Amino acid sequence: MTYVLLGLIVYIIIMVALSYIGYKNTRNSGDFLLAGKKIHPVVMALSYGATFISTSAIVGFGGAAGQFGMCLLWLTVFNIIAGVFIAFVVFGKRTRKIGHELGTNTMPEFFAVRFGSKFMQGYAGLLIFLFMPIYASAVLKGIVDYVSQYTGISFGVVLIVLGLLAAVMVIFGGLKGIMYSDAFQGGILFAGMAFLIIYTYSILGGIVGAHSSLSVLPQMPGVAEQIGGLAKIGFTGWTSMPKAGTPLWWNIVTTLVAGVGIGVLAQPQLSVKFMTVKSSKELNRAVLSGGIFILFMTGVAFTVGALSNVAFYNATGKIAIVAAGANDSIIPVFIRDFLPKWFGGAFLVVLMAAAMSTLNALGHTMGTALGRDFLKQSLNLKTDTIKLTKIAMIIGLLISIIVAWLSSKLDVSMAIIAIGTSLFYGLCASAFLPVYIAALYIKKFPRGAAITSMLTGSVSSLFWLFFVQEKTAASLSLCKLLFNTTSIVKGTPLNTLSMVDAIVIGLPLSFIAAGLAWVIIGNAKENKSVM
Amino acid sequence: MLGLPDASVWLAYLLSIGGAILCIVYGAVYWNRDD
Repeated sequence: MTYVLLGLIVYIIIMVALSYIGYKNTRNSGDFLLAGKKIHPVVMALSYGATFISTSAIVGFGGAAGQFGMCLLWLTVFNIIAGVFIAFVVFGKRTRKIGHELGTNTMPEFFAVRFGSKFMQGYAGLLIFLFMPIYASAVLKGIVDYVSQYTGISFGVVLIVLGLLAAVMVIFGGLKGIMYSDAFQGGILFAGMAFLIIYTYSILGGIVGAHSSLSVLPQMPGVAEQIGGLAKIGFTGWTSMPKAGTPLWWNIVTTLVAGVGIGVLAQPQLSVKFMTVKSSKELNRAVLSGGIFILFMTGVAFTVGALSNVAFYNATGKIAIVAAGANDSIIPVFIRDFLPKWFGGAFLVVLMAAAMSTLNALGHTMGTALGRDFLKQSLNLKTDTIKLTKIAMIIGLLISIIVAWLSSKLDVSMAIIAIGTSLFYGLCASAFLPVYIAALYIKKFPRGAAITSMLTGSVSSLFWLFFVQEKTAASLSLCKLLFNTTSIVKGTPLNTLSMVDAIVIGLPLSFIAAGLAWVIIGNAKENKSVM
Repeated sequence: MLGLPDASVWLAYLLSIGGAILCIVYGAVYWNRDD
């Protein structure tokens, strides 16, 4: 407990100092919204990484790896190749260049100015504001779960305290303060995760030894009974892929890997980071540290999550999900029971850093989406941007706190954090990715086709999430309310569709709609001059 | 490979590390390039 308090006090002092430096250096809305466009490449890479990686990745997806195994490492491959390399090189450079030329500060504004459509700005802003709280609540749940496991204080109390702390930090500084504190938090994250992987491998007999123990675990006495339920839905072991076409395979391949792996390319809170550096040279340099950083985040979390099964089994005869009690508890309980006492306290600071850096960016994005993009630009409200944004941030975070509390009432065997995260990532991909690619690379792409794609992707995705995909439809409850079932295809010949993630439907439809509308409408006569 | 019997998993393990190396090489080669 002493370690926890000591760690937290030092962390909060440094965070307040960095936020204050950012606050003092924030002179106008450009500083507030884009950190003055002169951020150092390492600061930018760490800030991007710390925003991308939250408690959701470490606790939520790490817990999913504890239950489903190392096949989740395919998400790490996507995280690095798509989330860093393609994001920075293919999307980042053009976003920075065109964003600066058009003078835009947010992703919805980028679309609006590029295609000359206020509607797109308002619609994208509203979509982000309405659904980002689901992701923010998953991030909050990750840190609250850990703290309440560690201290024994109830979920509700911890949620309110940490939710308020996040709100204070967001309100205090603009993006400049966030970028500096993110870089500090990114450093903490890197050190914590590096220690975690080295220590885990060392207690389990080295890299090959640990992997071999995990491979033979399903044949060990008493394990077959514990994985019986999982085996029915396609589980084949922690070091192999689930059986193709089974519910577990659909869940891992379409929801956990594709949803987040592709969705990262169209995240409004991440794309805004590209606009904070002054030239593409900084982005080239940021790729170097970004790749290593992400490997040490999700690569470590997923490997340790899966390997925790060996540690739990050797100590208790139980596999991780049985020993920890819930998917989202695997990583917290593993650290509490198997790592040195001081590390439990230090890791709490690591998770605080992961949660706060992401919540900060999400609060900022929700605030600008509602305050600036929807109310001010689209509805022409005459109020100061910073003031309006801050009010919208508070509303967004309050909704996130309420959703986090509601999500704690859901079935604990579900990977609640991971599903909430991939829901938002998949929705962003379906709504924004085709439009984003067109905005960056297709000069003559017409406004009508951009609007058609955004509407088709978002509406089809939302329909799928609310009525077809059982994991999300059951939690969102609207389908149950209207049709008294958890999925409209359940029990019909189309039952397999209830396991398919919305991104598999929404993203292709969004691309097809973009192409068809472009053919019908023809080339744009005159868009904002770019490229 | 590395104590992982199934190719679908050790490939992901190695590609993760390979992806990070790709990022390092790219960043180093284009360190001073402002394109």
